[in-house]
Amino acid sequence: MPTRSISWVSKTLAVTRKDIVSEFRTRYAINAIVMFALVTLTVISFSVGLLSPSKEILSALFWVILFFASMSGLAQAFIKEEETGTAMILRLSCEGSIVFFGKMLFNFLLLLTLSILVVPLFIVFLKVVPTDWTLFIGAVLMGLIGLSGATTIIAAIVSKASVQGALFTVLSFPVLLPLLVAVIEITTVSFTGGTFADASAPLQLLVAYDVIMITLSSMLFDFVWRI
Amino acid sequence: MLWKIIIFLGMSAVIVAAFLTASPMRAANSLGPADVYRIFYFHVPQAWVASLAFVLSMIYSIRFLRTRNMKYDTKALTANKLGVMFAIVAMVTGSIFAKMTWGEFWNWSEVREVSVFILLLIYGGYFALRSAIADPDTRANLSAVISIIFAVAALFLIFVLPRIYSAFSQHPSDSIIDKSGQITMGLTVRMIFFSSLIMFTALFFWIYNLSIRVARLTAKKMLESK
Amino acid sequence: MFELELKNVSKYFGARKVFENINLDLKSGQSLAIAGPNGSGKTTLLRIIIGLMVPTGGEVLFSKEKQKLDFDSYRPFLSLVGPYLSLYGSLTARENLKFISKVNGLMPSEEDIEKILEQVGLEGRGNDYFSDFSSGMQQRLKYAAALIKNPSILIFDEPTSNLDDEGKKRVFDIINRYRPDSIIIIATNEKEEYSLADSIYKLGE
Repeated sequence: MPTRSISWVSKTLAVTRKDIVSEFRTRYAINAIVMFALVTLTVISFSVGLLSPSKEILSALFWVILFFASMSGLAQAFIKEEETGTAMILRLSCEGSIVFFGKMLFNFLLLLTLSILVVPLFIVFLKVVPTDWTLFIGAVLMGLIGLSGATTIIAAIVSKASVQGALFTVLSFPVLLPLLVAVIEITTVSFTGGTFADASAPLQLLVAYDVIMITLSSMLFDFVWRI
Repeated sequence: MLWKIIIFLGMSAVIVAAFLTASPMRAANSLGPADVYRIFYFHVPQAWVASLAFVLSMIYSIRFLRTRNMKYDTKALTANKLGVMFAIVAMVTGSIFAKMTWGEFWNWSEVREVSVFILLLIYGGYFALRSAIADPDTRANLSAVISIIFAVAALFLIFVLPRIYSAFSQHPSDSIIDKSGQITMGLTVRMIFFSSLIMFTALFFWIYNLSIRVARLTAKKMLESK
Repeated sequence: MFELELKNVSKYFGARKVFENINLDLKSGQSLAIAGPNGSGKTTLLRIIIGLMVPTGGEVLFSKEKQKLDFDSYRPFLSLVGPYLSLYGSLTARENLKFISKVNGLMPSEEDIEKILEQVGLEGRGNDYFSDFSSGMQQRLKYAAALIKNPSILIFDEPTSNLDDEGKKRVFDIINRYRPDSIIIIATNEKEEYSLADSIYKLGE
């Protein structure tokens, strides 16, 4: 009956779509991530909002919120798959790279949804407006791409271990540190009236990081997935 | 046995020489007593050995993934265990060195201090992952993968970041390494420094080989007792 | 014509031996039951056969028309039903089958899916969530997901667990239907299931 001509891309999108449909029905990850972000944002607004903190500090706080919120939910993508036993049928159904990029895209969309909620609130609560919106949005998007790329393989590693939540943060932090430093630099520039030229060095680092980390993770993914 | 004697004699000679010759720092440039700068002879080789262990464990991790031979997992693990030990010692001696050079034990803008700290975080993650996996095959496999990812992240931190992050610029520029990054040392200082470097490296490999032998014998004994 | 060969396969967990020097050779149309008490390594052996575990020693060879295949090229011919394999609880039966077919590179029509649901006795239940199914019905849907690939090698771990008599009968019918053309491996402790295989391999003796 069937044809064996479905492309790599549409198989990958099928994995992402399946995760989105499940997420819509269970709200397993998005609730945790959004609530975590809101709570952190509120705590930060209450504690430093009155002190008129510098733009450098605000851009660091912005990424602290995104980093910890993503730590609270991104690992779910694999943990659930492993716990319920669906990982097995997925392994026997397609190449690892399809699972990797499908999950990575799902995590990216999850973080994008989170940012769309958090950015306006952050701007309103902490009274900071990016002077260069293109640079700011570019930094956020590139940052989220790197964040989802690096954490997808770590989530797969963690799903095979115990004490998953804590381990996910412990393993992710050193890996994400170069990304965080670069993206905080760029965000600062976008808050303080700088242009693309002022942020060119961290932008180069960010692009290099995203490309190298995603390539490396997808290469190593089969070693994690197929055991 | 021969190595034990050579390393013992060599190390003793380095220690004696380090304290009998003049301090590598001229008293005029020093914030504290110039004698404190003798720590340089020990701190830099310790930090070097810690990085060597890190590179070694990455190489063995790649070899493990290629061959699935558990021997390489043992080697990567042993290198990491020793790496932690030397990294901790290097961090302590490094902050003493830093206190004497800039008046602070810890400085977040000093790239070497920060890298040693991150190296420790990485080791912490590696061992946390290992202890969270019960099955030896899975453990070997996953810790090899995370080692490689960590190594790439560390490359970014140590080599790429300082070029971007303008705050990362300080280092001991007064006596040992000048502003252009060249080592300016007198002949005696250089001789003691490089002997110390060789001796610490030898010490590392001696402990490393012993640990590997112990691990191998333990595994053999466990097999026999079954 | 497919052939599955195990040469001197052994597995240790650390220092603990699970099994040693297993040699098997199966061709299309042959079936094998793997028997043995709990903990004798039945599931471990199955995992090695399907390429999701690396043996400590020896090798597993899979070939089609004498051409050796690596994991990615023999996966499309392989299906497994076992207690540690499950489908997505938050998807309906139909969505599950569609998703599994799609990632396998297949495009079944609505009738194909209806037909396969009927084969396992789940006709009319296509729009129910997998998590709402009883364990017996879940087991039936796992069969549907395995068969939709039209596999040439079928592996069953405890094939009739959670099934009532009617379900058992269906599974026996399915296995017997695939027997003439496929390689079938069944890990089981149920004596009545030995009749589904040409030969029996005993583990843990």
